[in-house]
Parts: sequence; structure tokens; C-alpha cells
Amino acid sequence: MSLEEKFTAIRKGLLEFLVLKIISANQVYAADILKELNATEFATQEGTLYPLLSKMRREELVDYEWKESESGPPRKYYELTAKGREALRETHDYWQKISGTVKNLGQK
Amino acid sequence: MNKVITINLNGVAYQLEEGGYDALRAYLDNAARRLEGNPDREEIITDIEQAIAEKFRALLGSFKTVVNVKEVTTVLAEMGPVEDASSEGAASASSARSDAGQGRGAEAGAPGPECAAAPGARRLYRIEEGAMIAGVCNGLAAYVNIDVTIVRLAFTLLTFMWGVGALVYVIMAVILPAARTPTEKAAASGMAATAQEFIKRAREGYYEGMKSFHDKQSRRAWKRKFKHEMRGWKYGFHRSMAEQSQQWQQNWNRGPQGAPPIAGPVFIAPLLSILLFGLVVLMLWAIYSLATSHQFLGVALPAGMPLWVGILLVIVAYQLVSWPIKSARYACYFPGHYRHSGPFGGLLGSLIGLFFLGFGIWYLDRHVPEFHQWLVELPGLLHRGIDAVQAWFAKTT
Repeated sequence: MSLEEKFTAIRKGLLEFLVLKIISANQVYAADILKELNATEFATQEGTLYPLLSKMRREELVDYEWKESESGPPRKYYELTAKGREALRETHDYWQKISGTVKNLGQK
Repeated sequence: MNKVITINLNGVAYQLEEGGYDALRAYLDNAARRLEGNPDREEIITDIEQAIAEKFRALLGSFKTVVNVKEVTTVLAEMGPVEDASSEGAASASSARSDAGQGRGAEAGAPGPECAAAPGARRLYRIEEGAMIAGVCNGLAAYVNIDVTIVRLAFTLLTFMWGVGALVYVIMAVILPAARTPTEKAAASGMAATAQEFIKRAREGYYEGMKSFHDKQSRRAWKRKFKHEMRGWKYGFHRSMAEQSQQWQQNWNRGPQGAPPIAGPVFIAPLLSILLFGLVVLMLWAIYSLATSHQFLGVALPAGMPLWVGILLVIVAYQLVSWPIKSARYACYFPGHYRHSGPFGGLLGSLIGLFFLGFGIWYLDRHVPEFHQWLVELPGLLHRGIDAVQAWFAKTT
């Protein structure tokens, strides 16, 4: 079992956190999110991202607005809500704690 | 040269090769199925359609106006299987499964929600409209897309070999579900989904399209284009319906759908089902007992009667006894809709016809020596025929 396979579940679990992070930087469109993710180990496909975004919107973590585009119909641009920023902060802290633990465990 | 189908993705028309259209349809239907129960299902699907549309747009130019099958497959592979983020546990399980509807004949016996036929995927059903006995041959013919008569002939011929055909038929009649709803009927011959779904999709695309135009002129142009396209779709859809399911269409209107069951009789229906099941078991037992010991409940086959005639008789008896129960059950589920085949109507009429055919062959076999001789030689003849074909095949390749 390769490391990649071993960490499938973990990558999946972290996806929401990363999407929050990406959206927090600036207003983005779904394809921008994918572009950013695909440059990393967290490469994701539309089939996964769209349902995730809609779930996050239902949980009021993100919101979108329609914006015109030069090519084709208007696009949804996502941004964080106050609740989303709060969630991002909490998740970030928690992640710091976990990665700290991973780093420190076993070191005397 | 390939046939091209025009589709509407979020208000923009794209031309796809036919195979690409099928792949895209399967993908979107599959996505819709995966997102079953998700409150944002429609929205997610619209988003996905838009993403696909953008990928198509990137492929096209002024001299390339059609997306071919390979490009569609590549785009869909890029999109990846749609996973419902709100059902965490299911997500990993579903990603392991392969994409388009592969739930085929093998699982036909257990149509759970997971393998509920994807529209467009072919499944094995019994088709009772125009059936002679239980619609097994009809269903098989639709499944492999050949003439019913050939399938019936094959079964009849197989029946001559120690009743194998009859046995297989009975087993299939018991195992296979009957195609009753329009969707099941469509799945029986691998047709696309229903017209309602089709038109609903198109309408959504229309309104999405309207949103993206702001001046009157382009809206009007879009409206015209859309109407034109709708006509094309409707025409194509209706034509394929007419071609593939002429008999079905009449039945759809008064079929099971839309007739709300009345509470009272429905309680009786499970009882009737149990009764029917008992009858099926009894029939199978009778056939088994006839096949192994040439007697059933102490009643031996009349001297000289071949086994397969006995089995046929058992099946006929089963049909006779079960018919009123079946129709009563049908009336329970769909009050006001009576089956058009009465005991001496189409279904049983053809059954009696089949019985007489079998009886006639048996009688001829016993009393006309020439016919008996021919029957005895039939397997040899068949073998020689097969050998000849094989020899010819070996020579040509």
C-alpha cells in the first residue's frame, strides 16, 4: 500500500479546510480552486469539489455571487462568510495542534 | 462519419457525437443518482454541467464545432465521479465503484436501491405486453435486441432436449422481475430515460440561458434557438419511442403509474403474493419430482408421455391456477385497471395454443412413425449441420 493510498482518507478530510483557506485569500471561482489544489498533493476533481462547495454553502461557511465572464455565462465566485472565517480559524488552530503533536511525539 | 446530437448545457448549444452524448448522459444520470436526497442536487448538477460546458468550449474553435467521443470521455474522466459530500461514509465506497450503469442482468434478481437501473443501462426483465406465457422470451429478445420469434424458437428447440428449455424458462419466469414502470420498460431495451425528465432538464437550461442575456434582442434570439432545438429533441425522442416501444406507449397511459392504491385491498396483496409464491414452489417441486422420479405425489406420468410434456402440463396448470390470483393482486395494487388478458384472452389463449402445439407434437410422435423417425434423427441432423458450419468456418478463416 503506497503512502498515497494510506493517506486518502486524511486528504479527503482535509479538503474542506484547504478549500476554506483558498477561498479566504480572495474571491475565487471553482476552477481557480481546482487549479490551486491540483498543483499540490490534494489534486481534486469537479465531481468531488462541487458537492463539497454546495455542502459548505448549506452550512453557511461560504457564499457566492454571480459575476460576468468574458467567455460564456456568468460564474459563481465564492467568498467566506463570517461563520466560514470562524470555522477556518478554529480548524487552523486544531491543525496546528495536531501537527505539533505529530512533530513532538517520540522525541525525548 | 458519425451522427451528431445537439445538447444544451446551461443555455449554450453543443454538438456531440452520438457516443459522446450517451457517455455524457450516463455521467449526468449517475451524478443525479449519487446525489439522491441532497437538497442542492439540481444546483450541483447545474454547476457540473457548466464545468463540462467550459471544458467543451475550450476544445472548440471556428473550424471545430463538434466534440467527439474521445474528447467527451476525456472531459468526463477529468471531472471525476460525483461524490456526495454530505454522506461522508458513502463517499469513499462510491468512488471505488465504477462509473456508468453496469448493474446488468446478473443482478436483475435483486434490484436494491444501489443497482436500480441507470437509465440507458440495459437490464433483463420480463415484458408481459405481447407475451405468450410470462414474457421471458420477450424480455430476452429486447435485452439482446433480436426478434422474439427467434428466442421463442430457441426455447422450443431446447425444450426437445429433455425439457431443458422449459426448465430454464420456468426458472427465469420466477427469478426475473416484470418490467412495469416506464423506466423499467425503457431499461429492458436499454433506452434513455423518460420524456418528462428530458424536458425538465431542457427547461432548466432554458431559464439558465435567459439569465445570461441582458438585452431583449439576444434573449429573443436565444428563445428562438431554444424552441427550435426543443422541437428537434422532441421529434427525435418520440421517434425512438415509437420505433422501440410501440406497444408500450399505449400501456403507459393506463399503466401502474398515477393510480394511487386504495388502503383496504393492499392488505390482501401480500397474502396473495405469499399464495403465489407457494404455488411457484409447488410447481417447481412438481417439476423436480417429475424430472427425477417421473411421478408427483404418487401420480405417475401416463405411459408413453415424455417428460417435457409432463412439465409443460404442470406449467399450464400453474398458469391456470395462478391467473385469478395474479389478476386479483394486480387489481389490489392498481384499482380500476384490469388486465386486458382474461383467462381466455391473449395470455391464456396463446398458452393454450402452445399447449396444443406441444400436445400435437407428442401425438404425432406416438402415432405417426415418419414423424417419430424425424424427431429421432433431429439431434443427428443438428449435429451434422453444426459440423458443416464449423468446417466452413474453419475453411474460411
